[in-house]
Amino acid sequence: MSNPVRGGGGDDQRDLDLIARWKAGDERAATELVERHSAALARFAVSSGERSDVDELVQDTFVRAFNSLDGFRGESSFRTWLFTIERRLLLDRRRSEKRRRDRTEIQEGDSATEYDALDSVVADETQRRLRAAVERLSPTQREVFALRVAEGLSYKEIAEAVGTTEGAARVHYHNAMRAVKEFLDE
Amino acid sequence: MNDCPNADIRDQLPDLLHERLDVSMRAAVMAHVDACVDCRAELELLRSVHEMLVSRTPRVDINYVVNALPKRAAQPVRVAPRHRAWSDWRIAAAVTVLAVGGGSFALLRHGATPATADSAFVSTITPSLGNNAADSSAPRQPSANPNPSEARHVSQPAPANTVASADDQPGLATSARLADLNERELKALLNEIDQLQAVPITEPEPVTIRVNSGRSSPEGL
Repeated sequence: MSNPVRGGGGDDQRDLDLIARWKAGDERAATELVERHSAALARFAVSSGERSDVDELVQDTFVRAFNSLDGFRGESSFRTWLFTIERRLLLDRRRSEKRRRDRTEIQEGDSATEYDALDSVVADETQRRLRAAVERLSPTQREVFALRVAEGLSYKEIAEAVGTTEGAARVHYHNAMRAVKEFLDE
Repeated sequence: MNDCPNADIRDQLPDLLHERLDVSMRAAVMAHVDACVDCRAELELLRSVHEMLVSRTPRVDINYVVNALPKRAAQPVRVAPRHRAWSDWRIAAAVTVLAVGGGSFALLRHGATPATADSAFVSTITPSLGNNAADSSAPRQPSANPNPSEARHVSQPAPANTVASADDQPGLATSARLADLNERELKALLNEIDQLQAVPITEPEPVTIRVNSGRSSPEGL
């Protein structure tokens, strides 16, 4: 069965060292932690459907994480823990802006957004169709698919991040992959 | 696009993409992918989705994020004033205790209250010493008992101490040291002490103290 090499081994230890340094008052450690994980958090945000204020969401995630860093016990990797925090923030945003987001999702297929305009210049037809295929996934499928494909997390890590079981994460991933293939085959 | 029936291998494709397989597993998956058109197509799809997600992600302003983070180093500084305030309070309390304690000690040492008590007791026992006191007020004779330690032994009980303390009150008839009393005076004093009532009378006898040329002699009315 699966025997993945978690790239996390040394990376996780590096994160723990940086956290310890930050707790000791080394502000540069915080900068390095942000540099190491901000891109992944931004990818997860965009993959999950967040289109605006990605910087703000990433910032809020780190602020919340650092404020409760004393409660981080290292049972999961630091990045997985960050994904968990970011996902909660995303859910909060979705709840508070549900009406506005619904309107945006209805229009997104027809109107150009900030990223659409950029993509229209650089992306080819395949990328546009791929993006459309991912956007049609359910929120949970999209999260699992993004964490698995874009970040390479294991099912166990995905389960921790999205608050489900490994088995459910695997099912969500395979259903998402099937849905993407079906959309591309249409 | 079809799904490969080997679900285990398909599960490893994202790990292969992110190079998170150990050597043996990677070799096995690669061997399968080389021989499987569906897995090759799925791996290519995963690579395309990964590139699409990465290309769509805006660059995060690191400084924007870092500037909003809590400053860990500031926390000990916040604790310090509290500690200093606590120290100030302790210092103030210590100074107050020292001032009150020192003042009380000075009052006890130089104040009139203990002396008054002593003199009241002395005035109670000295009237019957009348003649002896007169003798003692005369030029002092050397003690019949030359050993001062014996006199000090006599002065150990509280009444004797009280008499001795009267030495600090020059106006009292018993101002002479016990060591200065002769044997007869000491016996008279002891006899008077033996005749004292164990329970003092509730109404103290009035006492008048006359002051004559720096010396006083109590006299019962």
